[in-house]
Amino acid sequence: MLAGQYDVTPEDREGLRHSLGLDQPLPLQFVAWLWQIAHLDFGKSFYFNRPVLDLITERIPNSLQISMLALLITVLVGVPLGVVAALRRGRIEDHAIRVLSVVGHAIPQFWLGLIFVLTLGVQARFFPIGSMNAVGVDCGLCWDRFWHLVGPVTVISIAGIANLPRILRTEVLEVISQDYVRTARSKGLRERSVIAAHILRNALIPVVTLFGAILLVFFNGSLIIERVFNWPGLGRLTFDAAVTKDYPVVQASFLISSVLLILSYLLRDIAYAWVDPRVKVR
Amino acid sequence: MAVRAQVAARAAGAPEPRASAGLWSTAWYRLRRDRLTMIAAAVLGTIIVLSIGAPVLAELVFRTTFEKQDLLRTYAAPTLDPPGFVFGSDEVGRSQAVRLFYGGQVSLFVGFMAAFIQLTIGVLLGLVAGYFRGAIDDVITWFITTLNSIPTLFLLIIFAALFAPSPITLTIIIGAVFWTGITNFVRGQTFALREREFVTAARTVGATPWRIMLRHILPNILPLIFVLTAIDVGTIILAESALSYLGLGIVPPTPSWGNMLTNASSYFNRAPWLVVSPGAMIFLTVLCLYLIGDGLRDALDPRLKSR
Repeated sequence: MLAGQYDVTPEDREGLRHSLGLDQPLPLQFVAWLWQIAHLDFGKSFYFNRPVLDLITERIPNSLQISMLALLITVLVGVPLGVVAALRRGRIEDHAIRVLSVVGHAIPQFWLGLIFVLTLGVQARFFPIGSMNAVGVDCGLCWDRFWHLVGPVTVISIAGIANLPRILRTEVLEVISQDYVRTARSKGLRERSVIAAHILRNALIPVVTLFGAILLVFFNGSLIIERVFNWPGLGRLTFDAAVTKDYPVVQASFLISSVLLILSYLLRDIAYAWVDPRVKVR
Repeated sequence: MAVRAQVAARAAGAPEPRASAGLWSTAWYRLRRDRLTMIAAAVLGTIIVLSIGAPVLAELVFRTTFEKQDLLRTYAAPTLDPPGFVFGSDEVGRSQAVRLFYGGQVSLFVGFMAAFIQLTIGVLLGLVAGYFRGAIDDVITWFITTLNSIPTLFLLIIFAALFAPSPITLTIIIGAVFWTGITNFVRGQTFALREREFVTAARTVGATPWRIMLRHILPNILPLIFVLTAIDVGTIILAESALSYLGLGIVPPTPSWGNMLTNASSYFNRAPWLVVSPGAMIFLTVLCLYLIGDGLRDALDPRLKSR
């Protein structure tokens, strides 16, 4: 770091290395880092010269706004599509949904984002082309913010919507052939209540296990989408830190995103046991 | 399985495949009748041929190279005059079409080679973990769980930022990050297969573990591995293009579909068409690979066909 062309003496260089702890052997650096983490001290960013924890806690809400909204939309759109695909299996609706999900998987997210910005932002001037707020406006979760959220949320939701219906469809088909569904029908329940109370309730259980995977999609997506839409979230911070070799920030955001992911897996398992009493925690 | 296929074919009123048809020829027979998969294969084949033939194409058809600049005609809209500008020209007047085909070379190379690497690692580790179980399995599973708890793209970005990548290093990095899916799959299948009679029989006559794994277990999972690989090549191409778009994958002047989009996004106002073509190429290639994967699965094992 800091090559000779700058006005830096070897002593300065050593002094800086020492103050950042970079002159220690790697295993020692690692132990020191673990010790800090145990005290929730993520160190200071090389680049911003601010505590890493502050940087990250500032960014997390911004990223969560995108992924939570995207999750909501994925469920709202994906669940009906999955049910329709299963109920109208082999017909035009089913095929259309299948094509939709293959296309949704194959389309590069960042390209979709760019096309969104190009057509609806730059050309139609309908949506903002990026960032979280209009210039001079910062009102938290207000109308302006939602207007800026439309682009990133749409693009990330499409990835989720490509996933969910395919899996739900298989589950619904599995449940439909169960005895209790036949019983429900034969006792004269309206088809709508059969679907809502008997089919959907049981078919959704395995889908709960999917949320970890969907969150992963959102994590990966946020890295790119936050760059396309210039959104100051965690993904953007990690990316910038990786490029500027700001190791403390990279380490911390790695750790935090991994912890979040593992927590979501744990939450998923708990939720699974909770919604399905047949699953016993052993 | 051949019998099953014959019954199905007869029911469909189709001519019977040869009575002794094996797995691969039956699969090929089914595949040929699957129009969507054949179209996808044809489109992908065309893209591959155009990419490999890019230098020839550039010289004979477009009469330019991927770095030849025409500073008087920058941001040219798509036109047939000169033929190199069918997809327009970029900020220094280079032919977008020629660069697209060269970009295809890079993207396809990275996609297929990285898939090959992850396949090799994945199959070997999966077989070993599933066959020997015990401590080896624990170590491998632990490694996979750790790797899976980090979002893939985060991992790729840090690796790519650390080792400023050439196409070769990028391929190795991607291959080294993506193998967990295949390993999990192979491990699960091996778990089930190692309890079957034919494995016990092989063991009884004194076959070594490696022989059992490679000659008896692997051939049974190979068909589905092909399916997974076709899909993985697509996923890898998507990842590579995303990395290159972020400026961490293939770096200019080597054109790749991803880094062409980085440039294009700076010229929204002057040349919107520059954004369309590279993305469309990625989309088309990945779509074809996914469709081929789906088609292969249906052809190789009709029982798995989504009902």
